[in-house]
Amino acid sequence: MTREEKQEKARISRIMSKGPIDLPFALLVLLLTTIGVLMVFSASFARSYYEAENPTTMVALSVFLRQAFFAAAGVVAMFVVSKIDYHWWRRWAVPLLGLAIVLLVLVIIPHNPLAVTSGGATRWLNVGITTFQPSEVAKFAVILYFAATISVKKERMKTFQDGIFPYFLILGVISVLMLMEPHLSGTVLILGIGASMMFVGGISQKMVGLGVGIGVLGIAILASGVLPYGQSRIMQWKDPWAYAADEGYQTVQSLLAIGSGGLAGLGFGKGRQKLMYLPEEHNDMIFAIVCEELGFIGAALILALFCFLVLRGYWIAVHARDRFGGLLAVGIITMIAMQTFLNVAVVTNFVPNTGISLPFFSYGGTALLIQLFEMGVLLSVSRQMPGPKSG
Amino acid sequence: MSNHRDRKENAAKMATKILKSRTLVLAVVLGIATFAALACRLYYLQIIRHDDLQEKAVAQQTRSSTITASRGTIYDATGETLAVSATAETIFISPHEITETEGDKDLIAETLAEILHVDAEEIREKEDKEESYYQVVKQKAEQEEADQVREFINENDISGIYLVPDSKRYYPFGSLASQVIGFVSSDNEGLYGLEAQYNEELEGTAGLVVTEKNAYGEDVLYKYEQYYDAENGDSLVLTIDVNIQHYLEQALEDAVEKYDVSNGATGIVMNVKTGAILAMASLPNYDLNDPRTIYDENLAAQLDGLEGDAYQEKLGELQLLQWRNKAINDTYEPGSTFKILTLAMALEEDLIDESSTFNCAGHINVEGWPKPMYCSKRAGHGQQTLAQAVANSCNPAFIQIGLKVGTDKFYQYVSDFGLLDTTGIDLQGEGKGIFFDEEEFGKNVVSLASAAFGQTFNVTPIALITAEAAAVNGGYLYEPYLVQQVLDSDGNVVYEHDSTPVRQVISEETSERVCALLEGVVDGGTGKNAYVAGYRIGGKTGTADKTGTKTEDNPQGDIVVSFVGVAPIDDPEVIILIALDTPSRTTGTYPSGGNMAAPTAGNLFAQILPYLGIEPSYSAEEMASADTNVPNCIGLSLEEAKQKLGESGFSYRVEGDGETVTDQTPVGGSIVPGTAEIILYMGVEKSDEKCVVPNVVGLTAEAANEKLTNAGLIMKVTGDTSSSSGSIRVTSQSAAEGSEVDAGTVISVQLSDTAMVD
Repeated sequence: MTREEKQEKARISRIMSKGPIDLPFALLVLLLTTIGVLMVFSASFARSYYEAENPTTMVALSVFLRQAFFAAAGVVAMFVVSKIDYHWWRRWAVPLLGLAIVLLVLVIIPHNPLAVTSGGATRWLNVGITTFQPSEVAKFAVILYFAATISVKKERMKTFQDGIFPYFLILGVISVLMLMEPHLSGTVLILGIGASMMFVGGISQKMVGLGVGIGVLGIAILASGVLPYGQSRIMQWKDPWAYAADEGYQTVQSLLAIGSGGLAGLGFGKGRQKLMYLPEEHNDMIFAIVCEELGFIGAALILALFCFLVLRGYWIAVHARDRFGGLLAVGIITMIAMQTFLNVAVVTNFVPNTGISLPFFSYGGTALLIQLFEMGVLLSVSRQMPGPKSG
Repeated sequence: MSNHRDRKENAAKMATKILKSRTLVLAVVLGIATFAALACRLYYLQIIRHDDLQEKAVAQQTRSSTITASRGTIYDATGETLAVSATAETIFISPHEITETEGDKDLIAETLAEILHVDAEEIREKEDKEESYYQVVKQKAEQEEADQVREFINENDISGIYLVPDSKRYYPFGSLASQVIGFVSSDNEGLYGLEAQYNEELEGTAGLVVTEKNAYGEDVLYKYEQYYDAENGDSLVLTIDVNIQHYLEQALEDAVEKYDVSNGATGIVMNVKTGAILAMASLPNYDLNDPRTIYDENLAAQLDGLEGDAYQEKLGELQLLQWRNKAINDTYEPGSTFKILTLAMALEEDLIDESSTFNCAGHINVEGWPKPMYCSKRAGHGQQTLAQAVANSCNPAFIQIGLKVGTDKFYQYVSDFGLLDTTGIDLQGEGKGIFFDEEEFGKNVVSLASAAFGQTFNVTPIALITAEAAAVNGGYLYEPYLVQQVLDSDGNVVYEHDSTPVRQVISEETSERVCALLEGVVDGGTGKNAYVAGYRIGGKTGTADKTGTKTEDNPQGDIVVSFVGVAPIDDPEVIILIALDTPSRTTGTYPSGGNMAAPTAGNLFAQILPYLGIEPSYSAEEMASADTNVPNCIGLSLEEAKQKLGESGFSYRVEGDGETVTDQTPVGGSIVPGTAEIILYMGVEKSDEKCVVPNVVGLTAEAANEKLTNAGLIMKVTGDTSSSSGSIRVTSQSAAEGSEVDAGTVISVQLSDTAMVD
């Protein structure tokens, strides 16, 4: 072994975490990913088959196979990433944030041949082998940057100058860029993640009060429908049946799927709403198919798995070795929690309809890959938790 | 320095503490509260709203098509089919498609017209409606016609002609019992009669095929298909007997023609011991296979010259008239036929008995009524026994009987006999009689006096016959009914009528006494025209004024003549009611129940009683004219033949002078009245010549017999055969004057006392 090789090995062993990963968290992730991929199979094959020009079994399975491939790759990535010392990522905080902003700008440049528009919103970039949402990158960039900077500020987080202003600026720029796509749900999500990390990072109680106040007021204003933007969306939310033929169609079809599931469901694969009645059935609306086929029992069980995952995530955050690890874990798990809540709330018409995917379930290879990568980072944090003996 | 380090350490500890505690806050909010809210929301949608949402979902996800159920059959009591459904096809064209495919419109119109018996012009007009996709050419075409259309389509490769399966109702007996059976709409929904009353049982349950479809409307066949079998309708077995029904309808038609009855007629034949209706008829009637055509000539004539709305309105009015079942829908004043009930209640209450006597001066004064109430015999019947009063149908006598009963008891009996209510017969639209209000009735005896002889109130024929059956059957009031059994499509009995009396109104003993008195009505009383040799028949005649019909042009007003007859009176089996509404006063027959309704009923009894297997039993006098089997005398010597004929009571005459009998008229084995003369041919050929029937109507029985015998025919008598009255004449004969028949043919003649007053 040459000297260079020894140095290289030492360097790698320094950045590799030594402790065991948190097994409950890892198992929950694997379980949810497996169920999610199977649900993509059930939800997608009907439309894949019916809408193909030459329907064959392979065509019917295409969506499922693609998702399964990304899931497998994602799980491998998760374990690899979990081995990497999360402190190594700290150096990428600023470059990644910069990259995210560049990508967000790329998406909204008019007539950009790489930008993909779907459903009236331009949220995707086409990079040849796949398309992905820059907002997915932006979410992790914000988490990483916030964790890196907040972790060193401690006391200074209480000040406006250090604790509020820079973050306000970053969130502001990203929000403006995302709203131009437009991508309201993504914006809400990033604001929520950022605010949660600032809260945990130790901003003053006055600011917490102010933030909660602004948040509540914002929601109240949106819900009241006084804003010209989104007024029709509020109307559809309040009475989707009145718009069942047009704007309320998706919501109504989702409610029909959920309602016909009943207690025990129609059985895996036996749902009917996926026969082209429910749009986005293997995408944003996949949870409606879950409810229809697995019933209240199945849906509640899956929600429980999500709930345990989130609580275990926060548990890891609390037990992290340092502030950086804790904040990183808080950011990642808050993202999963908020996205899950918003998706299920949209599908059940608990909140107004907005396009948001369900982690581990909704179809989308890149998104799943990124989610599992983030789970890897969180598992990496768990490896360095001080053992119970050492306090 | 250390101070600074301490502060720094404190700050770090503080920040960690904040991080941990605030993370816990997030965990509670995002890890517990939100999930709890979502779980509640799911519970609400999946459990509470489940039925509602599932129903909506299934409605959009499935397509259901119905399979029509076959309508049940209606059978008479002997198993004859009265109504049956068969497959038919409705044929329609798509003018649009014919135009698009450049079909030969003239060829199509002409061929369809020929096959379907529809006007070609009409089809041509429909074909010219080029925007239309659906023009019906013929509804419910026969299977044979449909097959021909199919052949035409295939041979000429025509597009735009379609056939849809349908079902058609057939009534093999046409107009028989039309108002009872009723008919169905083009959707096979019962509209009238039993078809409507038992529609639920007959129609069955349509089947359903539920297939799943996707949002594009395509069937998802490999998924699931639910099939609910069509349940074919139940069949009905009626109490109606087509033979008795036929006898009744024939008798009514004859009566309507003979007595020029202008407002229709009705008749009911009922089993006294169960309430089963053996026959029920109403005139005018109609053909069930085409119920919208007016059949009665006089009614149809009212449509002549009408057009447009006036025509439609009149047509509708006449249709309703011919569809009406007068036996249950209409009410009338029963008149003297009601006296049976007055008699029954007075006997039951021991207010009169067979030794009571009644004086009739031709009228009677009733307290509270300014004018005298008259008897139909203005001269008065004088002193009468009860039997005579009943046989004479004496109004003053019955007013006296009614007054003895008193208002309270009278009212109670009217109620007990079921006349204040409907009978509950299983037919729709049963009318309800109109009787006095109880309080009004009790105020004075005027209403009672007129009610006692059946005037000033209304009943339905069915309610009256039901009440009178109770008076003669031992006192039991039954619910009249038409459906004996309901059978499912496999022939299993799912319902059987239970003939349990509703109540007993009078005692069996009283009932027997009523029967005995009623026999006197037919045996020499006002009902003697209903007499049938060999049978003991009881009955009561009735002639009632139709209140409010007296006008200047019609000073005597219209009447309803009726007769209620029971046989055999010693053990009643059958009760018959005949009512003729508004017979003419100018036919030569004095209009009364005894002259018109009684002979009609008599004819009917003569047919029905033997048909029901009720054996005749002749009195000594009747023996002579009773139906007897002609012995075969061919091959016998004259002496032997004489002896054989003598045993049977026949007289004879001889043609020719041979040794043995070579032929005879009537032939051996035929059944003829015992009074007939047998012709024995001794070696001479029987003449092949036909006998010409002479007219005997208007003659006395003796004169008619002589004339018919001379013509080589044999006379058979029904009706009043007692020769005590000088006014008895032949009123009808079974073969028309001038018709040619074989020698020895039996000609039935109806004898009636043409001067009968009820």
